[in-house]
Amino acid sequence: MSETHLTIEGVSKSFGDVRALSNIDLKVDRGAFVCLLGPSGCGKTTLLRIIAGFEQATSGKLLLDGADITDLAPHKRGFGMVFQSLALFPHMSVAENIAYGLKLRKASRVEQKDRVEELLNVIELPHIADRPVSALSGGQRQRVAIARALAIQPKLFLLDEPLSALDAKLRDNMQIELRRLQQSFGVTTVLVTHDQTEAMMLADELVVLSDGVIQQAAPPSQVYQSPVNPFVADFIGSANILPAVSTSQSTLGLLGVDTGVSVEHAPGSTLQAAVRSEAISLRKVESGGTGIVSFARDLGPVTEWLVQAEGHEIRVRGASSAVSPTVGDQVSLQFDQDRISVFAS
Amino acid sequence: MSTTTLSKGQALAFAAPAFIAILPFLAACVYILRFSLSAEQGVIEGFSIRAYQDLMTPFFGRSVWLTLKLAFIATVVVMFMAVPLAFLLTSLRGSFARRLLTVTILLPLILNLLVQAYGWILLLGPSGALNTVLKSLGLIERPLFLLFNETGVLLGLIQTSLPLAVFPIVSAVRGISNEHLEVASSLGASNWRILRDVSLPLLRPALVGAASIVFAFNASAFAIPLLLGGRRVQMMGVAIRDMISPLFNWSGAAAAGMILILLTLFVLVVSAWLVRVTTVKTKG
Amino acid sequence: MRVGLLPTDRGGSYRFVIVLLAILGILVSALPVVVVTIMSFSAAETSGFPPDSYSLRWYGEVARLFTNEDSSSAQSVVDSMVTSLVVALIVMVVATGVCIPLAYALARGQRRVREGMELLFTLPLVFPLVMLGIAFLLIAESLALELGIWRIVIPHIALVLPFVLRNCLSAMNGISVELEEAAISLGASPMRAIWDVVIPLMKAGILAGLIFALIISFNEFTITFFMYTIDVSTLPIWMYSRTVSSLDPSTLALSVFIIAADVLLIVLVDKLIAGKGNLF
Repeated sequence: MSETHLTIEGVSKSFGDVRALSNIDLKVDRGAFVCLLGPSGCGKTTLLRIIAGFEQATSGKLLLDGADITDLAPHKRGFGMVFQSLALFPHMSVAENIAYGLKLRKASRVEQKDRVEELLNVIELPHIADRPVSALSGGQRQRVAIARALAIQPKLFLLDEPLSALDAKLRDNMQIELRRLQQSFGVTTVLVTHDQTEAMMLADELVVLSDGVIQQAAPPSQVYQSPVNPFVADFIGSANILPAVSTSQSTLGLLGVDTGVSVEHAPGSTLQAAVRSEAISLRKVESGGTGIVSFARDLGPVTEWLVQAEGHEIRVRGASSAVSPTVGDQVSLQFDQDRISVFAS
Repeated sequence: MSTTTLSKGQALAFAAPAFIAILPFLAACVYILRFSLSAEQGVIEGFSIRAYQDLMTPFFGRSVWLTLKLAFIATVVVMFMAVPLAFLLTSLRGSFARRLLTVTILLPLILNLLVQAYGWILLLGPSGALNTVLKSLGLIERPLFLLFNETGVLLGLIQTSLPLAVFPIVSAVRGISNEHLEVASSLGASNWRILRDVSLPLLRPALVGAASIVFAFNASAFAIPLLLGGRRVQMMGVAIRDMISPLFNWSGAAAAGMILILLTLFVLVVSAWLVRVTTVKTKG
Repeated sequence: MRVGLLPTDRGGSYRFVIVLLAILGILVSALPVVVVTIMSFSAAETSGFPPDSYSLRWYGEVARLFTNEDSSSAQSVVDSMVTSLVVALIVMVVATGVCIPLAYALARGQRRVREGMELLFTLPLVFPLVMLGIAFLLIAESLALELGIWRIVIPHIALVLPFVLRNCLSAMNGISVELEEAAISLGASPMRAIWDVVIPLMKAGILAGLIFALIISFNEFTITFFMYTIDVSTLPIWMYSRTVSSLDPSTLALSVFIIAADVLLIVLVDKLIAGKGNLF
């Protein structure tokens, strides 16, 4: 269906004794939007810098359209990059910034001017060409940095947490804008972020990294619905991670309740289950409930509860209603069978 | 290896021209050390510490004592003026006033020392400005002798070394947040208390650093004692010059120079250590 | 009430003492220069203060010194002036030229190396000038080197390196690696990135370094005092030889020109590094 554009083969990276990346394998399809997601220090920025050529992998290979680019100097790769600090050249105007890559490619003045104009139209800022970079707002800088990277018609479009400095509302708008630009240019894109909402919003393919290892690489909905391990379940949309057992009928027993979910593990084995807060519903009972509500807050469209059960604190989210349990109520818990992920412990 | 941090080879290539430029200086340092250990006075020949032994005379001892005394007094006076000047410089709002004050303070460090010596001679001489003013005020009857003695040298030292203290303190003062002062004030501290309990402790590393540089600078002064002290104020710099001409005692001059260098380095190292110790204390 | 290191109101004894000491400091700094300037306009031969009457006769004297080649003195003021300027210009170009790549290497290199190097290049600042003068003289004499103008240039370069390096380093501090990487990602070779991005952004610091080197070399007296020869001598040495017995008012007029040039250059440096770096 789609062809592989960038291949990362067994890439590892050590800084002295510290291992930043271990044996990373990844294929990126042409035109795809890939997000590298993980907590800080997981190696995601290092991986991006290896792709850009700013770091040399300790071992492993990079292939672009099948050609080995592992040792190619970064300035010969032709990848457009947007940096965390944006790195707009403060001594150049907006137009000079955008035209810089073209100037290096010896494009004629007319070509440069046309291309700058075209890009400024694309980012919907047609009148700022002659302004100094210092006169731009945060969102405008963002767009100019993106335009500068796209001006060279990059083979790969790399972004290192480009939106982290923006306030929440502007970030929302920029995410939509970024996705629109990426699709209209059809450029293969790798973006690094620690913000899982941002990653879910942008990515065709989500690569979750932790401790220098790829935990899961799959489309966002798949990562959300079926995380492959407790780390991914917890990092993406924060699930309740609870100890569980395999019952004698090979079903999942959770907090003393038989959920009816069948498991493949031998009866009696200890397991872990990840249950999202919206996959649990509460029912108020007079006695014999599974837990007691310790906290409840009405967030408007939904209500969030904390329930103490069997020594665990469970987070539950559900629609607000007049009969919602309140603090001190005994409740029984019901789990949505289709949305429980089970892991061997 | 990141490609944007320099490799060892590249870093060396980038630093090489500067190394070549500073090499004569390093060679000069080594040469002085070697000469001070020469057995002959006029050429480098054999090893001996005779040059150092020959310095153990009351005359050289007085010179060392005078040097330390003048440098110390000048440092104390400089510090008492530098801190207020730094406060004034950082609190000036207008950029013209700030620039005027900056130039006024910095000029003595940079300006041709001869010009400044002329200035002091015209100020302090028997018919100079100061004596004229004092006489017309009726405070003195005969002119005071301020030139070609320790007073004149001291004033010159204070003037030329003042900027060395003011500017490091200015950058330290800029680092003090006004909130610190406001907190102290809101707790009921008077201006003097704030100075003693908040400002000066925060400035301490900069103060120690500035004082040590001023001291080292003044201890090794040459032109000011030469021009304002005449032959009568034999600070070490002048004494060393006199060993070379008219005495042609090169190894002796080198040995005396080594003592001067060690003296200034000692002050700098001790003060650096002092700064480290006191900052660790305030952090802990 | 506004609180500050120098309170604007209700300062009481504190404000009084601080301002008094500051004024004392300003007087000590400025009076010699002011007196030299006033006396240069004196009409009299003597150095009594204040002058009985004012004139421009000593400025005329300076003009005559420059126009009439006077063969009575060993070296004319014009030769000294030219030597001074040539020395200062070479020192300025060489010192800044070597400090730019060094500052780059130190800013992008390891922290430990950087601290060590900064210390090494600060040494000439605390090294007694007399000893530098004597040491350079000893080397030049004992090796019988025919250095010409370089016998003054080489020590001056060592002397100005700390000032120039400090200016270049503080200019480098504000330039993030990402800016260079951005240029490289757009297709610039590492050297091209330095040329297109780093050097233009260092410009103010480089200029400040250039000017610093110029004024320090032009005004230097102590080392030159040991190194000068009959053929190679600078303006401060000429002034010294002229006033060694008594003060000559025409030298004061010349001094005023030097003061004016220095003030102008310092203001320029101050403008260049306004708010960013420290003067040294």
